[in-house]
Amino acid sequence: MTAVVDPPRAPPALRRSRARWAWGVGASVLVLWSLAGAGLFSGDVLNPAGTRQLARFADGALAPDLSGEFREVLLGSTLVTIAYAALGTAVAVLVGAVGAIPLARTTWGRRRGGWLVARGVVAVPRGLHEVVWGLLLLNVLGLDPWVGVLAIGVPYGAVTATVFADLLDEVPRGAHDALLAAGAGRGAAALYGLLPQAAGGLLAYSFYRLECAVRSAVVLGLIGAGGLGYQLSLSFTSLRWDQVWSCVYALTALCVAAVVAGRAVRRRLADPPPAGGDRPRRDVVLAGAGLATVSLVVWSWWYLAVTPAALLADRTREQLSYLLGEAWPPRLSGPLLSSAGRAAVDTVQMSVIAVALATAGAVLLSGVAVRPAHRARPVAWLAGAVVRLGLLLLRAVPPPVWALVLLFVLRPGILPGALALGVYTLGVLGRLTAETLEELEPRPAAALTALGAGPAATWLYGVAPRAVGPVLAHALHRWEVAIRDTVLVGLLGAGGLGALLATALQTFDWPAVTTTLVVLVLLTLAVDLVGDRARDALR
Amino acid sequence: MLRLSGVEVRFGGTRALDGLDLVVEAGERVAVIGPSGAGKSTLIGLANGSVRPTAGSVEVLGSDPATLSGADARRLRARVGTVHQHLELVGPLRVVHNVNAGRIGSWPAWRSAWSLLRPQGVPEVAAALRDVGLEVRMHERTDRLSGGQQQRVAVARVLVQRPDLVLADEPASALDPVLTDRTMTLLTGVAAEGGGSALVSLHDPALALRHCSRVVGLVDGRVELDAPVQALTLADLTAFYAGDG
Repeated sequence: MTAVVDPPRAPPALRRSRARWAWGVGASVLVLWSLAGAGLFSGDVLNPAGTRQLARFADGALAPDLSGEFREVLLGSTLVTIAYAALGTAVAVLVGAVGAIPLARTTWGRRRGGWLVARGVVAVPRGLHEVVWGLLLLNVLGLDPWVGVLAIGVPYGAVTATVFADLLDEVPRGAHDALLAAGAGRGAAALYGLLPQAAGGLLAYSFYRLECAVRSAVVLGLIGAGGLGYQLSLSFTSLRWDQVWSCVYALTALCVAAVVAGRAVRRRLADPPPAGGDRPRRDVVLAGAGLATVSLVVWSWWYLAVTPAALLADRTREQLSYLLGEAWPPRLSGPLLSSAGRAAVDTVQMSVIAVALATAGAVLLSGVAVRPAHRARPVAWLAGAVVRLGLLLLRAVPPPVWALVLLFVLRPGILPGALALGVYTLGVLGRLTAETLEELEPRPAAALTALGAGPAATWLYGVAPRAVGPVLAHALHRWEVAIRDTVLVGLLGAGGLGALLATALQTFDWPAVTTTLVVLVLLTLAVDLVGDRARDALR
Repeated sequence: MLRLSGVEVRFGGTRALDGLDLVVEAGERVAVIGPSGAGKSTLIGLANGSVRPTAGSVEVLGSDPATLSGADARRLRARVGTVHQHLELVGPLRVVHNVNAGRIGSWPAWRSAWSLLRPQGVPEVAAALRDVGLEVRMHERTDRLSGGQQQRVAVARVLVQRPDLVLADEPASALDPVLTDRTMTLLTGVAAEGGGSALVSLHDPALALRHCSRVVGLVDGRVELDAPVQALTLADLTAFYAGDG
């Protein structure tokens, strides 16, 4: 009999995931290609002559125009912006509530064909930026407050409908199916079995949209819809830097107020106080918020003086049918297609540079931006507060304004646009990264400290491996947003598809407008698809 | 090795340890037993420096952790290895890195960083993983492993750390009897190798008698039982748990 001896085996070889390596290499190549496209390695991109102008602009930060006259102007503009945001969101929520029905899987059951068609239809309004809608509507409705309201309402409505449908589909089906089995109609079953369970999520999302709408309303002002954005662009073109800074501070305050209020309501919805007693009682805070929102919408209706008649007027119908007739079929001529192709490349490069810059910046700043769990030393606390405030300012100011500022010191081209978008995205991504780190369970890292690891090693082994997945997922999502926002920067001259669209609109070349829009929607869909795949590879 | 006198620890209003005195000499293998909430995990936290006493004095390997900072504190911590109750492994890291994390206390930062790209000291990691029976899992993501396998990864981390003081909080809660015995042998073995000692919290009295040289029983943050295993029987310990100790 022989003894069975376990033969000594070599340790298994390290296998790296091919897919992840491929994604990593692909992303690096994409970033380098974009930087080369922006002329960073070849031409001179700096415009040293503009530094003095930039210094004068920066001086305005400490001396904003706070005169009584301008304060009144600012107050009026702020009210206009709020009114557009409120009314636009109201339209979006209405559209969303109705649109959710054809978009929900529940409605179609096994008949997936109808569901796919509905999802396809809604992709078009979603793929176009609010500002693009604004410019298109301007040509249909003329100078009417409806332009601003619908420019927010249409794309937001499409997104809201999709999200509402998803929320309804995610509700546990038990109650709904039981009602159907008991003979209830489909509408009644949804009303009693689905809606009550989804109501919190639907409301929370509506408030979130209201927060976003404030930012969109500011941006729409930049193209002439009125409000703070409009005032900002007026001050900028008349080189009144002190007034520009007053506008910047006002819109930062407005965005902060919107986010704080919205977050308070959403927290309350997610975590309601315990209900006591046997009488039905309402949550005072939520009821107050709901009442305030409804009165805000009614007030906005009055303040903006919108009338349904403007939408139903004969002139509107004529203009719409004229435009649709002109815009179809799209032009497919060689020169237009090749310039659209070049513009699409510029757009992609701008968005890639923006997101790469923002991700790198967010990772570098995240350590400082994190809200400390325990008492921090005064220096660390102060540094954190300054960085958080800086990030807030970066994301409160719309990207086109950053582009205008950067044009002081950079030569025109896609680089200022890309950097402007990058700076803005950094504001958003920096906050998201800090939140990701705050939510990490602290104990695995504490265990490493307990066995003697230094701060760098603790970060490398205990924090980074767990944060990299969520942070990259956020970055990919922001890339999808950035592709839409490049159009916005482009419309104001930074190049890419936005610039092409602006030219076509200015010359009333409607077939070319259609072509550009189709390329734009296809590009957005392609980026969404790549982002989805990349996120799958991260999991 | 470890010297606690009159130690009190409060978390907010609750008192986890209440005037605890305990001395662990080199070469001892001490089992800490007691009902949940008796202060076993707090005692382990005191010994590895993650819990600070509210009152009383703590001395670990000849120095008070609270008085040290910077490199001195790190050098002391690197000599104390812990298997935490909830393991505290880094899920998305491969097993090899989670084991190597036991050594980043004595490695310079650049070596720790480089090891994430090209694992350092793989033979030692492989040996530790072979000891706990997980060698083939070396390059898998740690969060893909079962609870019992992760527990053995945490043990392997302490094995490559080679600490003078080994602390373990219920290190065998998710293991079958054979693996439990093997794990206890490994942990007490790595402590004995360098002439150090082990402090292990256990809920199985039989395990305490088989692997340890001394048993300390805690009740409500106080030492209610302290005796060498030769003086104890299984019946004594069972009675202690029942509350007659």
